[in-house]
Amino acid sequence: MTKDYASPEEYGLADLLCCAASREVADHEVVFAGTGLPMVAIMLAQKTHAPNLKLIFEAGTLDGRPPEIPTSVGDARCEMGASRSSGLSDAFCIAQRGLVDLGFLGGAEVDQYGNVNTTCIGDYLNPELRLTGSGGNPDINSFAKRTVFIMVHEKRRFTEKVSYITSPGWRVKKWPGGEVVHRKELYGSAFRGGPCAVISTAGVFRFDEETGRIYLDTCHPGKTPEEIRGLCQFDLDVSRVNGETEPPTREELHLIHNVLDPDQIFIPKVKKA
Amino acid sequence: MSSGKRITLQQAAEIIENGSSLTFSGFTIWRRPFALIYELIRQKKKGLHLIEVNGGPQTEFLVGAGCVDIWESCWVGHELYGKYGANVSRKVGTKEILVEDYSHAEMLFRFAAAAAGSPYAVTQTSLGTDIHNPEYDTLGRAGKRDGKRIAKHKYVFTEDPFYGAGSQVLVPAAKVDVAVMCVQQVGEEGTVRVKGQYYSDPEAARAADVTIVIAEEIVPEEYLRRESDLNTITSFEVDHIVECPFGAHPTGMFGRYDVDGAFLKSFYDGTRTQEGFDAFAKEWIYGMDHMSYLEKLGWPRMLNLKANTALNYSTGVKRGA
Repeated sequence: MTKDYASPEEYGLADLLCCAASREVADHEVVFAGTGLPMVAIMLAQKTHAPNLKLIFEAGTLDGRPPEIPTSVGDARCEMGASRSSGLSDAFCIAQRGLVDLGFLGGAEVDQYGNVNTTCIGDYLNPELRLTGSGGNPDINSFAKRTVFIMVHEKRRFTEKVSYITSPGWRVKKWPGGEVVHRKELYGSAFRGGPCAVISTAGVFRFDEETGRIYLDTCHPGKTPEEIRGLCQFDLDVSRVNGETEPPTREELHLIHNVLDPDQIFIPKVKKA
Repeated sequence: MSSGKRITLQQAAEIIENGSSLTFSGFTIWRRPFALIYELIRQKKKGLHLIEVNGGPQTEFLVGAGCVDIWESCWVGHELYGKYGANVSRKVGTKEILVEDYSHAEMLFRFAAAAAGSPYAVTQTSLGTDIHNPEYDTLGRAGKRDGKRIAKHKYVFTEDPFYGAGSQVLVPAAKVDVAVMCVQQVGEEGTVRVKGQYYSDPEAARAADVTIVIAEEIVPEEYLRRESDLNTITSFEVDHIVECPFGAHPTGMFGRYDVDGAFLKSFYDGTRTQEGFDAFAKEWIYGMDHMSYLEKLGWPRMLNLKANTALNYSTGVKRGA
């Protein structure tokens, strides 16, 4: 069956990111949702190819099926339809127990090994700018089998070295000494995986598990590999590019804008010319 | 039966002494004890040590007002209504506050350890991150680690001695003087019934030496004991109770009222600078009490936030573009 893809003027970048994120979810998976676009993406997957996915909100909603999109994971809109509503202890114990397949996260900076920063810009002890802090980003990233980062693509954000490793990528620091080691070595028998993709506003990136290095997988429509390479401070591997990012289908756009987020809380509608 | 636990907001704020360590109920922009936060600011508290599973607007108000010396947590912001904590950020820059970073799960496990009477918890979260960087032990650098209320070490790195499961991190119990909870119902003897997600409230209440509950309503204890399986916190774990409708505003309360996003956004937009914060505080905090605050907000605004009783959230609030 051929898919009914939307033409470029029918969708915006947020739609493309949302659909790309949604396609990372497989049916029957346990998925940890952060606030924002990932919630729409996961609920889109729930309404399309992954009707049996199990949604967890960090604040304590387990196997959620919210009829209305929550504004944040602590929202009163999380509870209705869920298997259980409880608290953080359940959410984090379930994650540490190894029951979470996939988590969606964000970040201000990412390096070539998938280390992500959400804590500060500049020297931690004398920061140029203090950001929100970690939240559950490192926790989900430590515990889930796969994590997907959704980020704005700017050269300063795709950096050689993040100001602070808030969330662990594939090559991380072993404390107290701080020597850089492969994630598998540090996590031992608790190793379950790590970052599997970065979906930026320019393209979709994946990681080579052995070397831990990021590579470009698909370019968003209209972008070239060289252009995206120029948007990274590190030397981006573009040898494995696999064409363009799959555009949204008309059905997906209908679900995003008429069913999941009609009030444009997270995903703006494209203005018709 | 009256237990003598009922006090006023002013009395509740007086119990929290300068220099106390403090934690709160709720999650980011939900069920924060704002009526008491405002009262702490009016009483010009100093030197508070906030230890929070996660921060939020309450952190921002207390830090902006200069009440806080130390903030130990993992996150601060206003969710959709303000992307980071501008007051915390400003005062980190000017070195007016000390910030100690743990991860979210670590903060939860620290409270769970304190609530269980254990000195520490063990976890494998956040291995390999700068959260564990010994150089970034803020309280250690400041010479605050006395081994009494503040742990001797930020972390201890170890190996699983039982099953060989590799690297482990020990995190110290979160020892707090006072927990302030903001909930829907409390009984006259202190039994708490939280509706909706209870976040990390049970751990926070049990971890603290003194627990104060600010409730939308104080109900007959006997009413809550008819279905005790629905209750969240035990009577004798609560020391003081305060009845205070809309006590969480501008944060939300499941089943009662929604988050006042417009209020949070105007706070976030207006308080990037200290002058901005002072002007906001002058308009909304100083020279007022809870009733005059509600009066200033007005009926139309509050009715719009009021939750639909079938859905537990408001159908009137504008959330999107």
